[in-house]
Amino acid sequence: MLILHTSDLLAEAYAARLLASLAGVALEIRHLDIHPGRDHETDAFRVLSPLGRLPVLEGAGAPLADWQAVLCAIATRGDTPARADAPGWWRGADPAFIGWLGMARDLAASAGVARLHEGLGVPADGAALRAAAHALLREVERHLWFAERAGQRWLLAGEGPCAADIACYVHIALCEEGGIARMDYPAIRRWVDRIRHLPGYIVTSGTFAPPAPAPVRQPVRA
Amino acid sequence: MSGRGPWVPVAASADLAPGHVYQTMLAGQGLALWRGDDGAVNVWEDRCPHRGVRFSAGDVVGGELRCVYHAWRFAAGSGACTFIPAQPNAKVPRAIHATPWPVAEVAGLVWTALAAQGAPPADLAGEVLRALPVNRPAAAVAQEAAALMAAHPALRLFVQPLAADRAVIRGLAAGVDIMAADLLLEAARRRLEDAALMEAAAC
Amino acid sequence: MAEILTGAASGARDPVLWNDWHVIADLAALRAGADFATTLLDVPLLARLGAAGAQARRADGAPLHTEVAYGFLWACLGAPARPLITIAEYAEAGRTIATGGSVGVHVAAPRVVENFLDLGHLGYVHVGYLGEEPETMVHPYRVGPLEGGGVLATGCKVYQPVASPAAQGGYMVDYQYCVVRPLITCLHKANPVARDAWDVIYLFVQPVSEERSIAHTLMLFAPDGTQPADLRRFQQLIFLQDKPILENQTPRRLPLADGAELPIAADSTSVAYRRYLVAEGLAYGVIPAGARVAA
Repeated sequence: MLILHTSDLLAEAYAARLLASLAGVALEIRHLDIHPGRDHETDAFRVLSPLGRLPVLEGAGAPLADWQAVLCAIATRGDTPARADAPGWWRGADPAFIGWLGMARDLAASAGVARLHEGLGVPADGAALRAAAHALLREVERHLWFAERAGQRWLLAGEGPCAADIACYVHIALCEEGGIARMDYPAIRRWVDRIRHLPGYIVTSGTFAPPAPAPVRQPVRA
Repeated sequence: MSGRGPWVPVAASADLAPGHVYQTMLAGQGLALWRGDDGAVNVWEDRCPHRGVRFSAGDVVGGELRCVYHAWRFAAGSGACTFIPAQPNAKVPRAIHATPWPVAEVAGLVWTALAAQGAPPADLAGEVLRALPVNRPAAAVAQEAAALMAAHPALRLFVQPLAADRAVIRGLAAGVDIMAADLLLEAARRRLEDAALMEAAAC
Repeated sequence: MAEILTGAASGARDPVLWNDWHVIADLAALRAGADFATTLLDVPLLARLGAAGAQARRADGAPLHTEVAYGFLWACLGAPARPLITIAEYAEAGRTIATGGSVGVHVAAPRVVENFLDLGHLGYVHVGYLGEEPETMVHPYRVGPLEGGGVLATGCKVYQPVASPAAQGGYMVDYQYCVVRPLITCLHKANPVARDAWDVIYLFVQPVSEERSIAHTLMLFAPDGTQPADLRRFQQLIFLQDKPILENQTPRRLPLADGAELPIAADSTSVAYRRYLVAEGLAYGVIPAGARVAA
């Protein structure tokens, strides 16, 4: 059984839970109090995660304390033989996939930290982080706009999304909490909507599930 | 470009995906755009009249716009509020409605106007370019756009003022590779934004 | 005592807030060796754990009143016009008490208070927890003034699938709301295990600037087996669902003019709250009744 040590406050932890839900991988969740608690700084937790980072995944060999390593473990479990004909959540042999995982890290270091700065008071240079995030988002926008033009709905060519979409999504979907508006990026906003509509999509506080279709109701005359 | 008649392009037709609410701004006013079931585009002030939450944070459900805060529903076209879940059996007051703006869909672009007069240009042709937001005032962007059009007659460019210090370059390219045109616009944006940095550094 | 008001801070132009007590930090966020930086009414403050306990000072060295109470550090920039509020439940034996963790929000403080009082959003923004379709109707409730100033709403009833961590299934939850200071509000809700006992949540909104605030919450729950960490996690989950709503409100300041925004019957508490702010003479974080609303 995979055990995920997590905090609902962190985008990287949401990425793990979201990918697990989309990929049909079961997780046992263990919550840590990281604000204002400091569960992630205890000696016991440092054994699992020497840098005090979250999320941490146990049950897939040695504990994994890097969020993208966690995504890899979850994604590869989700790419079962039954799904062998699909492009798969993990596309590690595709250089573009690696590049987009890198973009996700860059987004975490800019938009992700800006969000923690604005919301939880983590010390940071908010203006510099926002500028860095906007430069990255301009490139994501350019890529997605041309991808849409070629009939592509996700970051990589192929039938469905992959772990790189999820890794980028969590930071982009929550970036407005860091003062980074998405108004300039209409292709990104449409991609965000497509991810929300995926079967198995789950929210974190800060994102909203698509509403159920309108219920049948009596017309209301004003 | 933005000076000829009050109509300004604020979106591409292709931006209005089914079920999606598109977000933009014109001269400091937030706008939410979405396509109704009949295919017609709605351009609304981006603000629910209830508690001021942006419509662009909401969803299109059953051909209506649903505000994300209290799930009030607003009809396409008129913008009338049609449903308030907190009081589902009461008549919806007629005073509760979205604020629609003028709309025209021409040449693959969606146009609106602060005060509608006439119609958008009728002589437009070509493929719609990727819109580029620029962190410079509309006047500076318009100057650069004019220079681009003079150098590249295949480009027809318009400037959408977002706010006092930001504007979007939009337009069409007739018979020119879209990626090549995109690179031209990106270079123009860099020139505009680098110029601002140099001005700021010189102060 | 004469207080020095620096002309630079726009907060100084609102004597109600300037001369009131505000939470500026959760004690759990303070350290002995390092300053915790925050801002109150545009004035930078520094807080830390000193030899005599939690303390704060103005970054510019001007005088500052401070108090420690209810797990928080409080500050008053002017001369306190009224004492710190009293929370009777804090001294009650057996209650499970936890702070909720302070969260910054890019919106004016009164908007945060008004959202806390709102019933119509519970089944949408907090779907699956504090409400859900089809139980969306807000049943009529009573609103009146609080003795000593403020607002009291009673007789509220909301169907909640998961009202709190201890809930085993949905039930119709009795609620009461009060606003005891312009930026301090609390709710009492029926505990899922002992329905005649009240779970209490206080919200203290720190006005950082006219359009930014920090929400501090305090939970004082009836004993039902829930651990403080689980109360805190539930509260954070709920409040972080409200954050993007608050940050998508325009204008960021709360408009006080009648007709600027359109309430319905379900919004009676919020209407009373806006009128209370007008009566108090609040000028900070609001668009006063005479001004034109800029969207």
